[in-house]
Amino acid sequence: MKKNHSQTPQKPIGKTTFLKVFITGMLSLVIIFSLSSFLQTESQIDSIAEPETEIADTLAEVEENLEALAEDTLALDDDEYYILDEEFAEAEEMDFVAGEYTTRQKRIGERLFNGLTPFESGLHNCSSCHYIDAQEEMNWNPSAYELAKIWKETPEYNIVEIMNNPVSMRLMEDHKGMNISVAEQHLLEAYYTEKLKRGPDELQAYPINAAIFWGLGILMLLAVVDLLITRKIPFKGVHVLILFVGIAVHGQYVMAETQRMGRTQDYAPDQPIKFSHLIHAGENEIDCEYCHFTATYSLSANIPSNDLCLNCHNVVRNGTNSGTFEINKIHKAAETGEPIEWIRIHKLPDHSFFSHAQHYKVGKLDCTECHGEVETMHIVKQVEDLSMGWCLTCHRDNDVDFMDNPYFEIYHTLHQKMKNGEIGAVKAADLGGENCMSCHY
Amino acid sequence: MEKKYWQSIEENQPDYKPQPEESGASTMEILTNETNSKSTSRRDFLKWCGISFFSATVISACENPVKKAIPYLNHPETITPGIASYYASTYAEGNNYCSILVKTRDGRPIKIEGNSLSPFSMGGTSAQVQASVLGLYDDGARYKYPVKDGEKTDWETVDADIVSALDKAAEDGKKCFMVTPTLVSPATEKVLQELTERFPALEIITWDAISYDSIREAHQQTFQQSIVPDYHFEKADLIISFSADFMGTWLAPVTFSNRYSTKRRVSDNNKSMSQHIQFEAGMSLTGSNADIRVPVKPSDELLIIMELYNEMAALTGNPVFSSPASEYDTKALASKILNNKGKTLVVCGHNNLKAQILINGINHMAEAYGQTIDGGKPLNLGKANAEGLTNLISQAEMGEVAAVMFYKSNPVYNYQRAEELKTALDKVPTKMTFASAKDETAQLCNYILPDNHYLESWGDAMPKAGSYSLMQPAMQPIFNTRQFQAGALSWLGKGADFHSYIKESWRSDMFPTQNQYADFDQFWINTLQAGVFEVSTNTVFTPALETIAISDALSVLKNQLNNAGSVQFMVHQNVALTDGSNANNPWLQELPDPVTKITWDNFAALSPKFATDHSINEGDLLTINGLTLPLAIQPGQAYGCISVALGYGRTNAGKSADNIGANAFRLLNDKSFPWNVDAWEKSGSGYEFARTQTHHNMEGRDIVRESTLDKYKESSKAGNEVRDYHLKHMSTLYPEQEFKGHHWALMVDLNACSGCSTCVIACQAENNIPVIGKEEVKNRRIMHWIRLDRYYAGDLENPTVLHMPLMCQHCDNAPCENVCPVSATNHSHEGINQMAYNRCVGTKYCINNCPYKVRRFNWYKYAMNDKFDYNMNSEMGRMVLNPDVTVRERGVVEKCSFCIQRIQEGKLQAKAEGRKLKDGDITPACMQACPSGALVFGDLNNPESKVAQLIKDPRNYHLLEEIHTLPSVGYLTKIRNPKA
Repeated sequence: MKKNHSQTPQKPIGKTTFLKVFITGMLSLVIIFSLSSFLQTESQIDSIAEPETEIADTLAEVEENLEALAEDTLALDDDEYYILDEEFAEAEEMDFVAGEYTTRQKRIGERLFNGLTPFESGLHNCSSCHYIDAQEEMNWNPSAYELAKIWKETPEYNIVEIMNNPVSMRLMEDHKGMNISVAEQHLLEAYYTEKLKRGPDELQAYPINAAIFWGLGILMLLAVVDLLITRKIPFKGVHVLILFVGIAVHGQYVMAETQRMGRTQDYAPDQPIKFSHLIHAGENEIDCEYCHFTATYSLSANIPSNDLCLNCHNVVRNGTNSGTFEINKIHKAAETGEPIEWIRIHKLPDHSFFSHAQHYKVGKLDCTECHGEVETMHIVKQVEDLSMGWCLTCHRDNDVDFMDNPYFEIYHTLHQKMKNGEIGAVKAADLGGENCMSCHY
Repeated sequence: MEKKYWQSIEENQPDYKPQPEESGASTMEILTNETNSKSTSRRDFLKWCGISFFSATVISACENPVKKAIPYLNHPETITPGIASYYASTYAEGNNYCSILVKTRDGRPIKIEGNSLSPFSMGGTSAQVQASVLGLYDDGARYKYPVKDGEKTDWETVDADIVSALDKAAEDGKKCFMVTPTLVSPATEKVLQELTERFPALEIITWDAISYDSIREAHQQTFQQSIVPDYHFEKADLIISFSADFMGTWLAPVTFSNRYSTKRRVSDNNKSMSQHIQFEAGMSLTGSNADIRVPVKPSDELLIIMELYNEMAALTGNPVFSSPASEYDTKALASKILNNKGKTLVVCGHNNLKAQILINGINHMAEAYGQTIDGGKPLNLGKANAEGLTNLISQAEMGEVAAVMFYKSNPVYNYQRAEELKTALDKVPTKMTFASAKDETAQLCNYILPDNHYLESWGDAMPKAGSYSLMQPAMQPIFNTRQFQAGALSWLGKGADFHSYIKESWRSDMFPTQNQYADFDQFWINTLQAGVFEVSTNTVFTPALETIAISDALSVLKNQLNNAGSVQFMVHQNVALTDGSNANNPWLQELPDPVTKITWDNFAALSPKFATDHSINEGDLLTINGLTLPLAIQPGQAYGCISVALGYGRTNAGKSADNIGANAFRLLNDKSFPWNVDAWEKSGSGYEFARTQTHHNMEGRDIVRESTLDKYKESSKAGNEVRDYHLKHMSTLYPEQEFKGHHWALMVDLNACSGCSTCVIACQAENNIPVIGKEEVKNRRIMHWIRLDRYYAGDLENPTVLHMPLMCQHCDNAPCENVCPVSATNHSHEGINQMAYNRCVGTKYCINNCPYKVRRFNWYKYAMNDKFDYNMNSEMGRMVLNPDVTVRERGVVEKCSFCIQRIQEGKLQAKAEGRKLKDGDITPACMQACPSGALVFGDLNNPESKVAQLIKDPRNYHLLEEIHTLPSVGYLTKIRNPKA
């Protein structure tokens, strides 16, 4: 029997519908991925520079701050740079009320610090030695923010006196011949209050990746628009090429970013103390274990406690590079009882249990195999990505100290084979180094 | 002999049909209820997909928050980040005593372990002890600072007030009382002694909610010695217990479990064991282990005791007194006892003076004293004075009392005359409590002076004569609390330093009794480290029976029995809550009762026949002497007797305990026959228990194997004959797995396991197992990694009971492993069935394919979820979590890991020290906690290990061996000794 179906003619998808869907899809994809990529770059700026900044401190705010900063510094007319005498005269007459500095005072202070307005003595500016913002390479001199902080925390702080403090030889030598008038002191202090208010230094990052991502995204969009609507370029191959390359590059970015999720390779944050492993472990050849002593018997390798630093720094109070400024932070912690809050760099993903004793004491691995050549770093950087693949490679490739440790005698067959020379070496993976519950429990 | 095993009562009915697993509410119903009739359409689903995709992208972009690493300012020598330190200490709350090791990580206690150096508790613990660490972090219930008239105050003010109140009372000629339980601490007793000397108005009332004073008084009357003797179950060939739950709650259950189990173990070399006969009304933990159990109601029990005494007196030529006849054949029992002279032990759990006197007489005739009963080194328990609180009430009513202090006692909750006490307390101007956490008595007090938790306290203990142990703090007090003894010392003007006081006390009392150390500091440090100290005493107890006491006891009991009614009740403690002082511990609340498997509730237990005769059903509400309780039908319950557990019905203890169950202390009375049910009626129905019992039905398979001693003597394979058949038919196409290094295995001796459930709590503490609450238990979602299956066999009115701990069997041919689509569960090189939580996607295929049903699914996020407002939902409660074990997320499967973190730790230690791993280096939490040593863990590849030897025992069998899962957990056949 044949049944009559009421047949509705299948309507082919119209060109416009297809266009709509395609364009919306592409647009949303581009927005999502570029946003993610952009936020990723920006959030790294956040996290590297300032631990206390909450994630809620969004991109917009950061931008606003930067713009405001630029405006603040450059808002003055070009002429004003040269009316120095007037400024000095003005400064002489100014009323300085601590805590109630005027915007004008703060501005002049900032310009003094940055060298836009020379000091009365006509010499030097601060920012040629003291950075305004954190930098990627080690600058031993305290930055503007750190100076502001110490000024705020120390009662009866006098910039001139500190600069010429004979206790610290370096301070006196470096600041030799620099005279700062009382008015200039106040102006600097005004700048300090402003700097404190603005918060700590921010490391400028250059979002090249984001730019490529955005650029390609726009290019792809244009290509699609031209391909279907405007049709300005007659060679379809151009569109196809752009789309191919664009999708490939975007895909690669997405892949890379997803894999990097939660990983912090190359992370090298600014620490609260400019502690240089190069000086301690490299030049002075202090053994790693002297400070990180629990690595031999505990799961974690400890970050040395304050009293351990004082073993040496009770005597060594004047550093070659940083003078007393950094070392004083240890003494201050001991006095106030507030421990130093280091920023953690190496962190394994959640759900994994790692034992330093197992790898350092039993496995006899060198610290550098995972942490890199720390003794050559001023600022410690995470060298490896600490991914599971990286762990497993090592477990598969590295030989175990099998014959010398009586513990392994329980592996009778392997022991026998090794004795007979049937196998040359035993890898961690042969002993269960690839088992889930070796690390995850 | 074909025995029929059954788990629930319905199953034993002739028309029983097995119910599907998830009976009761269907899954759909549960889901619908949970989402509150919110329907989700396909559109919504797509929307959520889109939103979650978008937000996942955004959130992942904002990752990697800055983590700080804050080192110590001055590194304490005893703390190493990442490594646990252990401190020897003592648990002595109520009647529960254990010498313990406190495991601390980064300065906070996270787990309690038994101290194997202790000759008294012998490394065992109880569920209470294991769970006690949670009480330390109970920020919801603990008092955080001293309170005066509802206002926060400071210790100086309080001290001044107390001293002036006590002095003023002396001037006015009024009395002050301090109510304490029996104290096992010699130093505390010394402090109290000094207090009464300094403040003449102060009188100490020793009062126990669960008292053993009648044992002490009975010994006074029969032997002129006021002692509670020590009972040596390991020396007895015949153990007769009248309602004494000595493995669960009676006197020193941890010690007794250990002793009992040594005489119950059998092997090819030792085919003898004790016989255990239990007379009791309700099915207790101890009764469930008995070879012969006689369900009798209290009146019949007394009758049997009286008759047994007379029968024995007749046989031994002692004076016989008249007594009514019982239905039980006491003659045979009497001759059995006399055949085992010097090897018999008779105990009685009733705090009934006259009954205890008769028991003394029976034990005396059985020549138990000096053999199975040690009067030379008596237990330091049962020192309460029953008249104390009565005296307090009458004096307070007259207005003679100026102040009352409560130390570790909560009579408003657990005193039978609580209502009278409450009205009397209204007339007392100053009421103080030293309770460390919320309780009912504190509600009436105008001073709340919180004591430290015991893990924050100094102390000592003498559980029995000559056995001492020290208690040391494992952490600084968390809150502004102060140890009671320190406070008392400051009232004496000695400064609030109890630590020095104990030290001095030990210098003068204990130090001279030893000759191992010449220097006191050496002695102190070493004792503190070991936790225990033994003094060799040679007190000889030579009993001489006073027959006058016996004849008096018999005539009094006879009169008592004249008043016995036909329906009686019995109150008992259960192993989880005991007297209810730790009721606000969610771990204990969720611990299934070893026999009924009911959690989060107490109930009235009735025998099946009685229920049928009176047409009442399980879940009906019964009102018994004014107390309303849901009815649970309990096989083996004595006909005409209703059993009720104590410890429930708290009203001011905290969120986990309040208003759960009814307070059975209210049933206690001083009537001439105190167990009469004067009135009972059905007052409702349809109550649903949160039972863990019926959802693991073994469907009649050969799971439990047991035999009798006689058969075992003939063949070591008795009860396990079927194993040969299975082994013969075992074949596989696949190559046998080889374990090159270790091969971990666990053996369970069913003869030693009493079913006390300590291992369940130990596992919960070790492995961060969440509490899920009553409703979720009802949904059959309990998370415990060990469950204790309990099977009944035989007669419904008097079944034999079998306990079987069941954890992941770590099958070498694991059915769960093959079905996991993401390989989240697989086999390790060491024979462990591994579970990688971060890989699990929650298909639950493994749960369905596990023949043992030991896998648990995280239906919810149990940590930091207001819906599960237990310890994991508070900042402080989470401090108890073991940092070595992952807290599982919603949607993943979990199960026993053989305490892999401990295995890894043990292996690492051996490797680091460059030595072979020794048998016993690694003990999982369950094995460590077990008071009777029923669990043995070890390496099968180490031929010297205990487990490798036990697995060759002819009694060994594996669960469902016929399906060739090759489990790594073995069970040793249960052997009973029911010979008449």
